Amino acid sequence: MRYLFLLCCCLATSAFAQQQDVQLRMSWWGGNDVHRAYLASIRRFEEKYPHIKVKAEYTGWVGHLERLTTQIAGGTAPDVMQVNWNWLVLFSADGRGFYDLNRVGDVLDLTQFDADARAIGTVHGHLNALPVTMTARVFYFNATTFAKAGLEVPTSWDELFAAGKIFRERLGPDYYPLALNFLDLLALCRSWVVQKTGEPLVNESARRLNADPEDTADMAALYARLVREHVIAPAPERASYGNVPEQELRPWITGKYAGLYYWTSAVGKLVETLEPGQRIVLAPYFMRPGARDAGLNYRPGMMIAMNAKTEHPREAALLIDFIFNDPYAVQTFGLLRGLPVSKSAVALLKAQGTPRTLGWEGNEQIELLPHQTGESGYFEHPRVRDAFFDILEAQGFGQIDAAESGRRMYTDINRVLERVIRKPVDNAIPAPAASLRSGGKAAGAHAVPAQAAQRGMNDG
Amino acid sequence: MKGHLNTSLRYGVLIGVGFLMLYPLLWMAGGAFRPNHEIFNSIGFIPQHPTLEGFAKGWQTSTEYTFARYLLNTFAIIVPKVIVTVVSSVLVAFGFARFNVPGQRVLFGLLIATILLPKSVLLVPQYLMFREFGWLDTFLPLYVPSAFATEGFFVFMIIQFMRSFPADMEEAAVMDGCNSLQVLWHVVVPVILPAIISVALFQFMWSMNDFLSPLIYLSSVEKYPVALALKLSIDVTEATSWNQILAMSTIALAPSLILFFAAQKYFVEGITVGSVKG
Repeated sequence: MRYLFLLCCCLATSAFAQQQDVQLRMSWWGGNDVHRAYLASIRRFEEKYPHIKVKAEYTGWVGHLERLTTQIAGGTAPDVMQVNWNWLVLFSADGRGFYDLNRVGDVLDLTQFDADARAIGTVHGHLNALPVTMTARVFYFNATTFAKAGLEVPTSWDELFAAGKIFRERLGPDYYPLALNFLDLLALCRSWVVQKTGEPLVNESARRLNADPEDTADMAALYARLVREHVIAPAPERASYGNVPEQELRPWITGKYAGLYYWTSAVGKLVETLEPGQRIVLAPYFMRPGARDAGLNYRPGMMIAMNAKTEHPREAALLIDFIFNDPYAVQTFGLLRGLPVSKSAVALLKAQGTPRTLGWEGNEQIELLPHQTGESGYFEHPRVRDAFFDILEAQGFGQIDAAESGRRMYTDINRVLERVIRKPVDNAIPAPAASLRSGGKAAGAHAVPAQAAQRGMNDG
Repeated sequence: MKGHLNTSLRYGVLIGVGFLMLYPLLWMAGGAFRPNHEIFNSIGFIPQHPTLEGFAKGWQTSTEYTFARYLLNTFAIIVPKVIVTVVSSVLVAFGFARFNVPGQRVLFGLLIATILLPKSVLLVPQYLMFREFGWLDTFLPLYVPSAFATEGFFVFMIIQFMRSFPADMEEAAVMDGCNSLQVLWHVVVPVILPAIISVALFQFMWSMNDFLSPLIYLSSVEKYPVALALKLSIDVTEATSWNQILAMSTIALAPSLILFFAAQKYFVEGITVGSVKG
């Protein structure tokens, strides 16, 4: 009997000791520098909290979503994960797919994120994810090439169009002021039309475009004009260099395509492959006369979320807080993933005199532009994007004219939107862009469907 | 004279086309020795400023492990996988080709149907099953399924090969007192050796390139095979160090090439030996 008692004591103490030690799993995607920064930060985190061990599970970009999807479906997702903004629609339509970070607000310093940043990760009142960085597409130009043409970098739409013709006359037919693939082109057309309408392009609640046939015709006409006035290369000519991203596109590397419409968070990679001796500068954002909004697609570059079923929410929150706010992690990451959102991180980088990058300048420009319109996550839905591509490609390769292209954008895209946006009654869809616009007031206002509520209870 | 011209013309064309076909491979090997910014600038494969930086940095990787770890992991998966594939496929093919089993036609049809089934359909159910087994983040889900002749294509290939041989020798062996397995081992296997080597080669190369299954089943970086490790540093927001990736791809290609050339000799030998004895 006495032995049994001793044995129980032993078991009890060992169980207690085990409870102290916590094993967390964290996943992310990235390149070499991001991996190194995360690993160094995690090592420092483990030194600071010796009872927590973090297992790093990282991959490149390719396949990361497939893997995370399988893990979430199989209930084996890591405790902390880096996610993309539009993945919230995929994994957490009702807001319960990820842990509500409001519940660990005492460990995770949420005050470092302003109301807008919190609202954009909030789905039906649940704070699902916090943004690492915010980004939008802005204009960058190769000042070296423009100087060769005897031009200043353009400051308005009109100057951009004028530059095309001057490039052709002074530098030759191979030179263009802008390098756009179809994805960039679509974003540019969106900005152009949103500057006219002042509304997001996709209207989630109506499951349609906010644009009327005249507006979509305007988008197609912009594409036609860009090509006609020698601002961008015609699609067949662009395709002859291969279907590669801009940083691997020869005319961009050599400076013949002298401009970009690109994300502030990722512009660095495009500058890196340039032939030495060229200078890229940020241009003022072009605004149409009378535009009330710049039509930026302003959204998180990437976010960090917590597994809804994690066994150690407090420790996971400590880790998230460390990655976002700890001076060591902030210094290690620097501007690697774009300008951080966390206020303390920005303050620290400024205090240290971190050299300004093109991305940073871009983010400062965005702050000063009217950018309250936002955009629905469905604008980046793969089916919507593909439908746009089909039409733009047909126009680019001369199968249809601009008028037909504008008509198709109206009919085809509306049809696709109606199919991909499920009715709010069946399945409440989060409206991140909408909640950004209304400062988070709308979040949680939708009734949670009975089915989802029940699922939530089972989790509890 | 005319014969000479004819031959040199023929060889000229062959060498020219062969060079074109090999060009991407040469470009890869050349790219491995270039600094990163030089890679997209020219189509030529001879580096202007040769450097070993790609190999040195690529081997170190950005992870806690060197590239050697990923190479070893690859072999820890592939070697058992090739062995169990060959054994199970030969056994099943022997059964189909030489025995009359009730419902044989239906079973064979089912086997062929599995070739047509897209692998992605099975992904989530298999993942759930292996999770129940507790096999996630181990190498087991990557090769254990192959032990059940799940690669219908290989079984089909061996069956076709066996059908081209008469069963006379096997009957003779049975009269001499062999049981079925002895017949398989002493008579059938030596004859179908070329087919077996082809199966092993195919499986080796496909497994080497397999990306999706290790991606799904392995979560620890320390267990990643080469196919995953090569893509570890490719991101959408960061410039990719292509020279490192090309350097490591060149190294990773070596085992496949060596094995192929080594096996090619046996492959030819196997055929000639079979033809003389047959």
